[in-house]
Parts: sequence; structure tokens; C-alpha cells
Amino acid sequence: MRLVLIGMNHKTAPLEIRERLQLSCGEDLAPSAELIRLPEIREALCLSTCNRVEVLARVADGEQAVAKLREFVFRQGNLGIAEMERCLYAHRDRDAIRHFFRVASSLDSLVMGEPQILGQVKEAYRTAVDHRTTGVLLNRMVHHAFRTAKRVRTETAIAANAVSVGYAAVELAKKIFGNLEEKAILLLGAGEMSELAARHLLRQGVGRIFVSNRTARRAEEMAAAFQGVAVPFDRFTGVLPEVDIVITATGAPGYVLTVEMVAEALRRRRNRLLFLIDIAVPRDIDPAAGEIDNVYLYNIDHLQEVVDANREGRRAEAMRAEAIVEEEVAAFEAWFNALKVVPTIVSLRERLEGIMQGELERSASWIQGLDAEERERIGGLAASIVNKILHDPITVLKEESRERDELPYVAAVRRLFRL
Amino acid sequence: MTGEVLFKAALAVYLACVVVYGASLWGRRVLPAKIATGLMALALVIHSLSLAFRWFFQGGSPVIGLHDTLSFFAWVMAAAYLLFQIKTKTRVLGAFVSPVIGLMMVVASVELGDAVRAPEMLQGTLVTLHVMLSVTGEALFALASCAGLMYLIQDRLLRRKKPGGLSRLFPSLQDLDRINHLCLFWGFPLLTVGGLIGSIWAGIVWGSHWQWDPKQVWTLLAWAFYGFLLHQRLAIGWRGRTAARWSLAALAVLVVLMIVGTRFFPTLHQFV
Repeated sequence: MRLVLIGMNHKTAPLEIRERLQLSCGEDLAPSAELIRLPEIREALCLSTCNRVEVLARVADGEQAVAKLREFVFRQGNLGIAEMERCLYAHRDRDAIRHFFRVASSLDSLVMGEPQILGQVKEAYRTAVDHRTTGVLLNRMVHHAFRTAKRVRTETAIAANAVSVGYAAVELAKKIFGNLEEKAILLLGAGEMSELAARHLLRQGVGRIFVSNRTARRAEEMAAAFQGVAVPFDRFTGVLPEVDIVITATGAPGYVLTVEMVAEALRRRRNRLLFLIDIAVPRDIDPAAGEIDNVYLYNIDHLQEVVDANREGRRAEAMRAEAIVEEEVAAFEAWFNALKVVPTIVSLRERLEGIMQGELERSASWIQGLDAEERERIGGLAASIVNKILHDPITVLKEESRERDELPYVAAVRRLFRL
Repeated sequence: MTGEVLFKAALAVYLACVVVYGASLWGRRVLPAKIATGLMALALVIHSLSLAFRWFFQGGSPVIGLHDTLSFFAWVMAAAYLLFQIKTKTRVLGAFVSPVIGLMMVVASVELGDAVRAPEMLQGTLVTLHVMLSVTGEALFALASCAGLMYLIQDRLLRRKKPGGLSRLFPSLQDLDRINHLCLFWGFPLLTVGGLIGSIWAGIVWGSHWQWDPKQVWTLLAWAFYGFLLHQRLAIGWRGRTAARWSLAALAVLVVLMIVGTRFFPTLHQFV
């Protein structure tokens, strides 16, 4: 019995190839259901996201099963073998466990620590369960992976900091205002970036949104999309005292928001905190506005710095996360290996019990002559001898499975007892 | 006896709080702060029991001696902090509040002894009320300053565009400012009423409402300072950095005047 994981991810395969595989995986028919029909495949789970396509399976011993799996993937991708061979990785046993745990913990993701992957793994598992393609091993392994992912999320800060400019803006707004509900935003200039940042903020519950743009139509479109209010560009200073967050992204060559405008707005809002986000190049807001008390001004470079620092922080946290994964892999592997010696233990026991039964039957004629109590005692004696003999070998086999990868004693026991 | 044991237990748990909050700051993690907040709640319960024991079972004036006053001061700070904790998730504020509480408790423990029998002149409900209200007001001012200090640090981190681990751990500016505001808003009237009661009582005992006692003078000055600050805040909209700085300055004035006033001038307010 072996555990195999084969697949490709954003590091090993270009998008074109992942796309092809994904299409075939995305169809209603679950590939795992098809896989499980192969005689060498005992359990299977298919994971397909935009950054990876992977098949995890418990297979029969021998390389043939792995070859079958590969073949299956090639067929699904409808691609040349040489082409696929370059992108595909195959992990066995411990490596497969580690890889799967790392994937679930978002350590193998394009953006390390992103939260979606765990949901995708859960979804893949649900599909597999629906098609009854998982069994004892994969069920336990998937749940162990969930537990590992949870530990990584709670014990490290890997997912704690924003790694995109839009999220960085949200995080800063929260550092300033705490709760973003009942706050209002003003979008100056309707660009893609400002729209994205606004979307993030709205998702955090920002109450009202004003949009102002040099071309009024664009402002109206965007205001409609956000259920906000369009403000004529020459009159945006009128709403400044009402808003708590201003995002500027106009194409204007000079400053659109001057120190005087900000100071005046602040006076009219009685010094309530004001967060200015300038993502325009060239800048829209006079940097001197950031010097005013209770005004916090971040431009695109500042936000980028925050993001870079956070990425760095995630890398540091990833080290701690890897240690957690290693711990969990070791824990699961102990169970997995113990599973490997189970068949040997079972057949060893059957073998000895067979001998006992045989001998009891051979002596059946004279045992018959004894009374019931004595017959029972002889049977009990034989069983107890067998159990005493089995006790130490079984203990040693179990210990061996916990301590090393190769199992020389298993092989020895099998040969010695002709199992 | 039981009261004393309870007090020492509370002191120990408060000091544990200081350490665990410190660990939260040091390791930039929220979890220790959560634990420390739980510890603080536990300490407050034990502390409340110890106060109750001392007042009701051992008898004596609750807040006349230095020990009782400081212990009560710490109790108010802990209780007010935990109340804010319910409203806003400002856990790490405890890292600034708990050392003050710890300090008060340590000094109080030095003076720990039998409950003080106040002299004849200092007995009565009015005195007790005077001290309790004034101490509550002052404890709230101390809390306002803790929030103010934290505000200034958070403000600095955000202005230097380095919102790293520490900034992430700290509460938001608006929450800190709100705590600062609420503490001033409630502390000031309490101090005012406390002072008035004291002066009424002084009128009864000494026949005059004002003795030019150094502590009276200094407290009046600090009171005026806080009154000015509260006025600026409500009328002109002094918020954020300015308010935080002034509340720190006001506390410094209060503390310095207290020490200078009671150490170097003879005073009627001598602790017994």
C-alpha cells in the first residue's frame, strides 16, 4: 500500500497547460470516480484550482499504479507526454503527506497565506466523499490536513497582513478608525486601482461613497455601481468635511487636493480623523497635507512599502508554519506507517492460530475422551501460548513502523513464517 | 487576615498581568494580551473581595490610609479598563494600564497593615465620599493618559508609514481617542463633585471652605487644567494628537504637584 500524489502547480506548469487539465477536471463527472475504477487505485481525491491540479491516491504496491495515474492525467490533459512530463511532479508517502499538508496550509500558494485554498480543498474532499472515492486513509489524512491548516492559521501570523495595495489601504483605515461602518469615502478620479480599493473598503462595511471625476458620466456610472453619489468635479470640496477617507486617482498633472482644502475641511469637521490615500502618479494630494494633525496621508509608494514589508513578514512566518507542518506530518506518518504493518500482523496471527487449530484437531480423538472442563482448559492453554508468542513480535513490528521507513522486520517475519 | 491574603493574591495576579501583557508587546502577539485580560478580570474579582473584607469585616474607614487610597485607585483603573474592554477590543492598552496598577498595588502593599482608624475629625460619610470620588476621577485621568500615550505611539507609527507588528497590535486611533475622551468626560465631574464635598465638609469641621492647604491649591490647579482641556475638546474640537499630548501633560502636572505639594509643605491632607 502506498500513498501517491501527482500533479502540477503554478511553479511547475505554465497557465496554458494547467488550463487544459483544469477544463477536464471541472466537468461534472468527477475524475476521482473514474480513477477509482482502475484496479490499482484504492482511494482517490482530485484537487483542481486555478493554480494547481493534483491527484492524491492510495494505490497498490509497485510502480505500475503510479504509471497508471500518470497515464490517466495525460489522457485528461490531452497533451503530449514529453510536454506533461516536464510539468508533473509525483510525491510518495511522506513527501505526499507533506505536500498535501503544505497545500492545505496555503504554504504552496502563489500568494502565501491566502485563505481560499483551504475552502477549495474542502470542496474537493466533499466531491470525493459524494462519489465515495475516499476511504480510511484519505479521510483521516484530509482531516489531519485541515487540522494542520488551522494550527498554521492560529499559531502563526502568516495570513495576518495585507499583501495587496487595496488590502493595505483597508488595514490602515482600520488602524485609524477601528470600525469602518458609518464612515464615508470620496473617490476622486475613477480608475481601476481606486475602484479596487473602494471595493475592498465597501466590503468592510463602509457606509457611504461619493464619486467625483473630471468626466461626469464616468463618475455617475461608478456611483451607480457602488450605490453612491456622484459629485461634480468642481464641487468636490463641498463633501470633503463629510468624508473620512479620500482616495485620489486622477490623471491631473498638479495637486488636485491642496493643503488649504484639507485644512479647511478638517476645521469644518472639527478635527475628526481624515485618511487620505493618493494612488495617482503624478500625485494628486500635496504631501504637506500629511503634516496636518489628525490627517494621515499615504501615497502609492507608502502603500507599496507596507505591502513589501508584509510580504517579508509572511516569509518569516512561513518558517514557523513549516515547522508546524513537519510536526503534523510526523504525527500522521506514525499512524500511516503503523497501518503498513497491520496486514503482516494480521497474517502472522492467522498463521499461528491456524497452526493451533490444526494441532487441536489432530489431537481431537483423545481430547474427546476428556470431560468438558478439561477440554476447555486445553483449548485455553493453546490459545494463551499463541498469544504469549505473538506478543513481543507484534510489539516490535509496531515500534519499528514508528521508528523507521524501511521495515526489515516485516520482511523477516514474512519470510520466517512464510506469510 | 483574610483581607490581607486576598490583597496579596490580587497583587500577585496584577503583577502576572504586567508580565503577560509585556510578553504580548514583546512577541507582537494578541494571544498573551487576551490571556492577560482574563487575568486582570480575575485579579479585579479577588481585589474586590479583599476591599470588601477590609471595609465590612475589619471595619475602619475605607479610603483614609495611603494603602486603602492606592488600592482603591488601582481598583478603579482596573474596573474602568475592563469596562472599556467590553466595548472596544483594545486589549493591548492593558500593557500600559497594568504597570500603573501594579505600581499602585506594590506601594499599597508596603503600607499594608491593619485597617486605619481615622482620627475623630476625619470620620464620616462626607470624607469617605470626598476621597472616593476624587480618587475615581484621578484614576480615570490616569487611564486617559495611558490611552493618550498609546495614541501618540500609534500616531507616530502611522505617520512614519511603518505600520508593522506593533501598530497592528495596538488599538485604532479612534478607539484610543474615544477612551481618552470618555475618561476625561467622566473623570472631571467626579473630581469636581469630590472637591466640592471636601470643601463642604471642611466648612463644617473647620468653619471655612478653603484652608490654603497646599494639596487644595495644587488640586485646584490640576482641576483647572483638566477643565480647560475638556472645554477645548468639547467646544473647539481638540482631538487626537493634541488631546493626547495635553492629557499626558495634565497628568504630569497632577502627579508632580501632588508629590511636591505633600512632601515639601505641611498639609491637612496628610495620610494617616
